[in-house]
Amino acid sequence: MDTFIQLTINGFTLGSVYALIALGYSLVYGILKLLNFAHGDVFMVGSFIGFGALQLLGGSTAPKVPTWLLLVLITLAAMAGCALLGVVIERFAYRPLRNAPRIAPLISALGVSFFLAYSMQLMFGSEQRDYDAFSLSGGALFFNGFDIGNVRVPLLRIVIVASAFALMIVLWLLVTRTRTGKAMRATSYDREAAAMMGIDVDRVIVFAFVLGSALAGAAGVMFALRAPTDVAIGFLAGLKGFTAAVIGGIGSIPGAMAGGLILGFAEAFTQGYISTRWSDLLVFVILIAFMLVRPQGLFGKPDIKKV
Amino acid sequence: MNAPEPLLRLSGINTFYGLIHILQDVEIEVGVGELVSLLGGNASGKSTTLKTILGIVRPRTGAVTFDGEDVTGRSTSHRIGRGMAIVPENRRLFGPMTVLENLEMGAYLNRDGTGRKADFERIYSLFPLVYERRSQLAGTLSGGEQQMVAMGRALMSHPKLLLMDEPSMGLAPVLVERSFEIIQQVHEAGVAMLVVEQNANMALSIADRGYVLSTGRVVLQGKASELIENEDLRKAYLGR
Amino acid sequence: MADEETRRERLEEGVPAASATAGPQIGVDEWVARSAERRGGRGGRLGVVEARLRTVPWWAWLTLFVAIVAALPVGFESGYVRRVAFDTVIFMLLALGLNVVVGWGGLLDLGYVAFYGVGAYTYAILSADRYDLHLPVFVSIPAAAVVGGLVGLLVGLPSRRLVGDYLAIVTLFFFQIFLTVSNNSDSIFGEDRAGGPNGILNVEPLSLFGRELPVSTEGIFNVAYLYVALAFFVVVFVALRLANASRTGRAWRSLREDPLAAELMGMPVNWLKLTAFAFGAAVAALTGTLVTALNGSVFPQTFEFPLLITVYTMVILGGAGSQAGVVIGAIGISVLLELLREPGDSRFLFYVLSVLALVGTLRFSRRLAIVLGGTLALGFVVHSLAGAIDGSWTAGAARDGGRLGEWATQWVVVPSSLASWVTPVSYIGLVAAVLTLTLLRGRLRLALLVPTLYLAAFVWENVMLAKPEPTRFVVLGAILIAVMVARPEGVLGEKRVEIV
Repeated sequence: MDTFIQLTINGFTLGSVYALIALGYSLVYGILKLLNFAHGDVFMVGSFIGFGALQLLGGSTAPKVPTWLLLVLITLAAMAGCALLGVVIERFAYRPLRNAPRIAPLISALGVSFFLAYSMQLMFGSEQRDYDAFSLSGGALFFNGFDIGNVRVPLLRIVIVASAFALMIVLWLLVTRTRTGKAMRATSYDREAAAMMGIDVDRVIVFAFVLGSALAGAAGVMFALRAPTDVAIGFLAGLKGFTAAVIGGIGSIPGAMAGGLILGFAEAFTQGYISTRWSDLLVFVILIAFMLVRPQGLFGKPDIKKV
Repeated sequence: MNAPEPLLRLSGINTFYGLIHILQDVEIEVGVGELVSLLGGNASGKSTTLKTILGIVRPRTGAVTFDGEDVTGRSTSHRIGRGMAIVPENRRLFGPMTVLENLEMGAYLNRDGTGRKADFERIYSLFPLVYERRSQLAGTLSGGEQQMVAMGRALMSHPKLLLMDEPSMGLAPVLVERSFEIIQQVHEAGVAMLVVEQNANMALSIADRGYVLSTGRVVLQGKASELIENEDLRKAYLGR
Repeated sequence: MADEETRRERLEEGVPAASATAGPQIGVDEWVARSAERRGGRGGRLGVVEARLRTVPWWAWLTLFVAIVAALPVGFESGYVRRVAFDTVIFMLLALGLNVVVGWGGLLDLGYVAFYGVGAYTYAILSADRYDLHLPVFVSIPAAAVVGGLVGLLVGLPSRRLVGDYLAIVTLFFFQIFLTVSNNSDSIFGEDRAGGPNGILNVEPLSLFGRELPVSTEGIFNVAYLYVALAFFVVVFVALRLANASRTGRAWRSLREDPLAAELMGMPVNWLKLTAFAFGAAVAALTGTLVTALNGSVFPQTFEFPLLITVYTMVILGGAGSQAGVVIGAIGISVLLELLREPGDSRFLFYVLSVLALVGTLRFSRRLAIVLGGTLALGFVVHSLAGAIDGSWTAGAARDGGRLGEWATQWVVVPSSLASWVTPVSYIGLVAAVLTLTLLRGRLRLALLVPTLYLAAFVWENVMLAKPEPTRFVVLGAILIAVMVARPEGVLGEKRVEIV
């Protein structure tokens, strides 16, 4: 039972990080119908920006600001940096291909992903970077928390899950309540009709990249608070976030959240009950099964072709 | 012909897709408060003309002036902001959004939201049915209801010029008639309109003037009442 | 949907009205009759040469090309050149195969390298000591190609129900599954049956007509392997050429150009996709056998993501769809990657390519002189200033010296030790400067070009030369993006006039 609780907590933490990544895929896919393969690498860059910000603020052992403020600041830094990166990627790698055949931006996206990953390796090497969250406030993030049965839920996990959900709620409100958010939905449904309403489609697309990349940046920090990061994490994390988006129904925001959690639980339980070796494979098997049985995902609507 | 400064003027428009010459020296004017029909069969360049007016397609030569401003190089968004609005072909409502949200999108450029409430009420009084359906998803409406929402959406922005692309397309005959009644009603409220239609008879019966496009050229133009009597036109489009 | 409608309308509208001079002729479609005008061509003398060259039949080019490659070992005794030539032919084969899927089928296959692996493993299983099957190559090589093609069909099958991008996803995940399984094969099948990360060793080399071909004699690469690879290349090239000229080939093209129209014409779209996919997979698998025979072993690490990107860059750079294009792309990228290994070669390549690129874009004009002169002058000024402020700033030695290296350190600031912030700041600055350049026009562009060039030289000398491995891949990624954005048809591909 304790293992079960422990794994559920793990699943929740993993899942909320995946969900944040998945949202980025979904937002961009919803509007551009583009699989942004570079998204995983934006996430990786986010974890590095967070690391850089952490060092600037004195590092985990001798932070210059209180822990809570430190966490907020490094997350904001990563979000802002990634948002900027997303804008640059959209402007230079995708926008010129707006009217090209479908395959062109996909290949460009592959190039961006590759370029980002190896640029980071070129600049920072392939060594691991550890946030060393354990040293913050004398380990309070790990020792404090509350108990379920015999299992302690560490504060860090609570913080990660809570802030991930907070971000998702903010995103949900942005998209459903604000004028720009509604314009985003309109654009993703029918780009030309949206333009006919006076919506500046370019700006809406940039907005989607800003939101998605900022979430990826936050996810990067959350990821790196738990485990050391390196320049290679982008690929696998991207794949998983992307799987989560597909499971949930790519283009759907609640779908991305649900998909992320499903994936997180699946991974945590495989790791706990079967073997860490197979957890990645299981993820892919789930995905392929989904694609065969319900390619539109949990929340997606079947793609009706209007001819 | 008209007032010296028309609301919309296309002059010497030549449009190309790649190397294909689509619109050839097209000259069209719509005066303030006028209702003009643009007729033509399939592939005569009607849609391209509309897209040129809106700035979705850029002409290689020629100019588009609207309300005294040369908007040839300006974005679609700018033109809409200046007072154009369109009811697109097949309505193109945002299916997964509610009727209310669709109307909001119509007033997208009206940032401050002043008088938004009055705008909604204006639309509701024009189309009481839209009010009943306001929280329903637009994709679930019937064709006639969609047409009303599409018109309401276009009118939300207080357009000076309303473009209508094939309003009769895909509607039952009863609804076509109703649709044209609404067009007339809106027109009487002082909104200039350019109605693109294949249904020449219907379109000319309500219009002040008309243009006939054929393979990218204006081949006929004049008062609607005269056009409707034109032998060539009758043969070509009215099937009589 | 709406786009389809307007496009169709435009297609119909596209039949141009009769011009004033010649009235419409019955039975003559102007759109077809004037097709030559839509093809871009050079004017002037160069244009004449180009037009002449176009009349040379493809097989003549092929013969010439094969003759040149075959003559390489005669000119170069070194095993290194032979080995690089062999690797290049392997890349050419891989690019040809990927071209079928991407260039002709218009499908995004992200599992391509896995099929290469399937071929390699199949051959290894059929020929390694461990399994003691030792099938003759005339059985094992075709068998591997067939297995590759069949796996391709199997993986492609889901795409029958999945539209567009989903094929990319399925293949990407197939790739992951392949990697996971091959890396963990020891724990799946038992350590006595499979090697997992340690791969399969002791695969026997090729044997032709009862004679075994040793991989090397006295440490020098056996040139026979190059010839075998070349023979494979010719067979594959010709076979694909014929396939492309066949009914299926035409159908592939129409499928890529306009899947909707192809479907409406009653083409078996899914079947066509699958065949393109399987063809590519079979070529990749075939290539895998050669490499395994040469290496005498196969490891899962060979088939990773960077290889996929490498082959993609080759196809895209050369021009997806054009066989000659992808072959040239393969040669270019293969040689490029080889040169980037060595700091000396890498430096040479950088300066030569920079100057060539400048000449290519600015021609021999005054602007060229200004930019080159300005960059040189800027360099000397910065160098002497930096040297005057702190001697250690210019005290660094050139990596892998050489004459050019010595010259370079007289001009580029190469500090004896690099502060940790310099690398990211200069690199990011360079990327930002290059991106900004693409937005500027006219004088501003020239003005920014000068410092950008110098910054590029600085980064190249101080950052890129120090780390050849990431540099190679950064360059690949940059090429991929740049080609896609600036010239999606590649170097040799024909520019398609899009009927919007």
